[in-house]
Amino acid sequence: MRQVAGRSVSYVLLFLAAVAIAFPFLWMVLTSLKPENEIVRFPPTLWPDTFTLSAYQDVWNRIPFMQFFKNTVLFAGGVTLVSLLLDSLAAYAFGRLQFRGRNLLFVLVLVALMIPVQVTMIPLFIMLNKFGWVNTWIGLILPRATNAFGIFMLRQFFIGLPKELDESARIDGCSEFRIYWNIILPLAKPALASLALFHVMYNWNDLLWPLIMTNNDTLRTLPAGLALFMGQHVVEYGVLTAGASLALAPLVIAFLMAQKYFIQGIAFTGIK
Amino acid sequence: MHTKRGKWLLGQEKTALYFLLPSFLVLGLFVFWPIINSFILSFYNWNLFDVVHPFVGLDNYRMLMQDERFWNSVYQTGYYTLLSVPIGIVLSLLLAVLIKLPLRGMTFFKAIYFLPVISSFAVIAIIWSFLLDPDIGLLSYYLHEWGIPVKDWLRNPDWAMPAVIMVAVWKNIGFNMVIFLAGLQEIPESVYEASKLDGAGPVRRFWSVTLPMLRHTLLFVVIISVISSFQVFDQVYVMTRGGPVFKTETIVYFIYHYGFEELDMGYASSASALLFVVVLLITLLQLRIFKFNETN
Amino acid sequence: MKIKGYGKMTALALILSMIALLTAACGNGSNNKGNAGSSPDSEASAVTGEKVELTFWNGFTGPDRPAYEALVQKFNDSQPNIHIKMDITPWDTLLAKLPTSWVTGEGPDMAAFSYSLIPKYAKSNLILPLDELYKGDLKEEMFPQGLTKVLKYEGKWYAAPANFATLMLYYNKDLFKAAGLDPEKPPTTWAEWQNAIVQTTKTSGNDKQYGLVLADHATIPMWPILVWGNGGDFVAEGQSKMLDPKTVEAFKVWSDLVNNKGITPTGLTGAEADKLFQSGKAAMEMNGPWMTAGYTAAGLNYDVAPIPVGPGGPATLADSVALVAGRNTKHKAEILAFMKFWNSKESQEYLSLNSGFPPTRSDMLDNEKLKENAFVSKFAATSSSARFYLSGLENYAKINDEAIVPAIQFMTINKKNVEETLQNADKTLLGLLSGK
Repeated sequence: MRQVAGRSVSYVLLFLAAVAIAFPFLWMVLTSLKPENEIVRFPPTLWPDTFTLSAYQDVWNRIPFMQFFKNTVLFAGGVTLVSLLLDSLAAYAFGRLQFRGRNLLFVLVLVALMIPVQVTMIPLFIMLNKFGWVNTWIGLILPRATNAFGIFMLRQFFIGLPKELDESARIDGCSEFRIYWNIILPLAKPALASLALFHVMYNWNDLLWPLIMTNNDTLRTLPAGLALFMGQHVVEYGVLTAGASLALAPLVIAFLMAQKYFIQGIAFTGIK
Repeated sequence: MHTKRGKWLLGQEKTALYFLLPSFLVLGLFVFWPIINSFILSFYNWNLFDVVHPFVGLDNYRMLMQDERFWNSVYQTGYYTLLSVPIGIVLSLLLAVLIKLPLRGMTFFKAIYFLPVISSFAVIAIIWSFLLDPDIGLLSYYLHEWGIPVKDWLRNPDWAMPAVIMVAVWKNIGFNMVIFLAGLQEIPESVYEASKLDGAGPVRRFWSVTLPMLRHTLLFVVIISVISSFQVFDQVYVMTRGGPVFKTETIVYFIYHYGFEELDMGYASSASALLFVVVLLITLLQLRIFKFNETN
Repeated sequence: MKIKGYGKMTALALILSMIALLTAACGNGSNNKGNAGSSPDSEASAVTGEKVELTFWNGFTGPDRPAYEALVQKFNDSQPNIHIKMDITPWDTLLAKLPTSWVTGEGPDMAAFSYSLIPKYAKSNLILPLDELYKGDLKEEMFPQGLTKVLKYEGKWYAAPANFATLMLYYNKDLFKAAGLDPEKPPTTWAEWQNAIVQTTKTSGNDKQYGLVLADHATIPMWPILVWGNGGDFVAEGQSKMLDPKTVEAFKVWSDLVNNKGITPTGLTGAEADKLFQSGKAAMEMNGPWMTAGYTAAGLNYDVAPIPVGPGGPATLADSVALVAGRNTKHKAEILAFMKFWNSKESQEYLSLNSGFPPTRSDMLDNEKLKENAFVSKFAATSSSARFYLSGLENYAKINDEAIVPAIQFMTINKKNVEETLQNADKTLLGLLSGK
């Protein structure tokens, strides 16, 4: 009896939290389905009087949506793949190898983790301008090709794996790279999946960096495209919410797919 | 064995170099070099719009120490940290404990709670400033209907920061929850069983079993929350632009203002350098705690 | 064993550098396309008479974007030898990128930004003087007087107008009727105006309503109109006017209406003020021509009228985005051709009809097509009394953000004493005017 009561209380609490957390998104999606003249009015309503897809048509017609989408996939995907590789290589050294200066180098990684990007962006932009890398894929992706948080997270994970794994492999004559590639990485799948989600999420949503680093639509990403609907004086809420819903959908799908690994990945990451 | 091990150490240094080189090339070129550059600029009167950039020694730092606007940003950052960290942690821990229960539909709840984490602040700001509008916002309207007094949130110097904090907590709650959940899963079921046999209720169990067993996770979350609070920028940038009357201007926003808007890189760099020192101290503290962690 | 390992690593490094090379190759391809101004082949083309590509950066986001894009397209179609490549980004990103790129020898041939930035950019030699532009088809007399002043710096021309706007009084006819006011007779004097504002303000509980919404930040400036209307000012001839009795009086009168009559919420952004007007929660708003399309589409029963005349005479705010030539460009002649095209009567007629902005030229008032468009002609008619806010000042942004906006917010949100607040603002302003 008591258990049933406890359960109901838990459900109610969880449900209330879910409503509080999801409500703004519900509003966003429903707003995107309203005609423009229903959005700003008093009294405000949640549910549209008339449903329309015109905002979605506008998004489609007024920005090169597929181009931006493709660019976002290339940018977020490119950064994620390269960064997973470089992060895991460095993390392997920090987590599995003994060498002098390890602690000092690791402090450097943590320092990089703690520097807000706003501090370095303009000096970095000036440097990339001198390289002629502005408005190139390499300029867009390479500065993000490794990520201090990724190194940190994977190092925590690698430290937690039993030492015996690679010691026996070493005795068998495996090279370090093979140990890394054939033994450690396969075990790290959950951690890699969670990190991949972080990287995708961060770069998918990032506005400032892709805007600063690109000079035309051939390299622009979705958030930059959506910014076109925010005028200096006039904001078009219908188109904006429609575009935002479209941009969010792939991330939701990515999360649902990675969710199983996600919590597992963090659980193993030695945050204990 | 011992001598062989010594040789191994030497061998691994070379191996480590290969493993570290790609990452450190990238970090060195695109993170450390700009940081060093910016540190050097902090000793110059370096505005992009000026034709000459004279060396001024510690002048920028001296000016910073006397700049009310800078100290205000320090204060606002502290205020943000002191409020957002505990509230965020308590709420996400509560959700994690609830969601850990072996009930149906938990995957669904988890996905919902994670929605704000995966969405962008630019979009979130538009949604929330619309919902919170004291006159025509849906949320304000509901609150008003239910007889709850409505504040003019983002427009009010006293309420703007709490509103920004609320939105930030809402955004990060799912992230912290997942970390707590990971920590909770590490606690063996047998510990709970034992305490159940002792007749402890769910609340007692939380205080006497869960919380102590979770202390390392808790520490981790506290540290990353504090560090990200020191760097708070996005939520302020998209919601209030530091206003009204600078009441939501944080340190990183201050740096952004001088670095990006004024392009006064010298002055912005001196503020960055100070922030960097503070953050470095936290990092070292964190390292000590993690060391302590590993030996435990 | 070790050698084997390193072999693998070398292979990996090779693969990595190949990836880098591949992406670099693709990247450089698009780079050449994007940066015509600095790439060697475009220099050559100027000599051989081949097609010149001009890059043009601006922040024309929002609903006006299609009109600007179409006009650029018209220019490209009309010119066999010039192609304009326009890139639109939000203003704040643009203004971080633009000077940084120009300083490093990159950046676009041409850009557009607010008139208020001309002194700052001109002083730093980031933009080119364009005196020859006004010696041919374009003449100073063709443009509103205030406008020509802000396009110059220290006697030299630095820009051509990209657009021109004035502020008018938007009023909600339904709310006027409901308050017993004649919706066909908007107020014309301050006395009538203040009466109408108070009449349409309802401060009681459920159906709160605001007489005149005043935004104070992230907006086109509204308060200057009230100060000018009383004969006051902020800065004139390099001197602070914050303590001028007319300025003080203006702030007293209007902050009293805000604080004691509740005519507007305080701390509003421009977007918030617009939302209030659009949802029928505000009876009046001062705004530019860009809102007519949205309010009409929303089915609002409204009209625009000249800002009621105060004791200081008719006054409204003028705003303009300016076209400038970047210092690294090698195609000044082509830029001048584009600026001429942009400000031709045909182009301005097209832009006005499609964006709702009045034309940049003051010699088009008798244009038949513009006359047919009620809003455009009304906005165009106010250009003679329109003034530019803080014109000719190199640190416009600092003066506005650090002295004036905080002062307005202190007086209205915090209900601070007007004289004291203005004395503090005057101190800040004097500091800024004399340089750091």
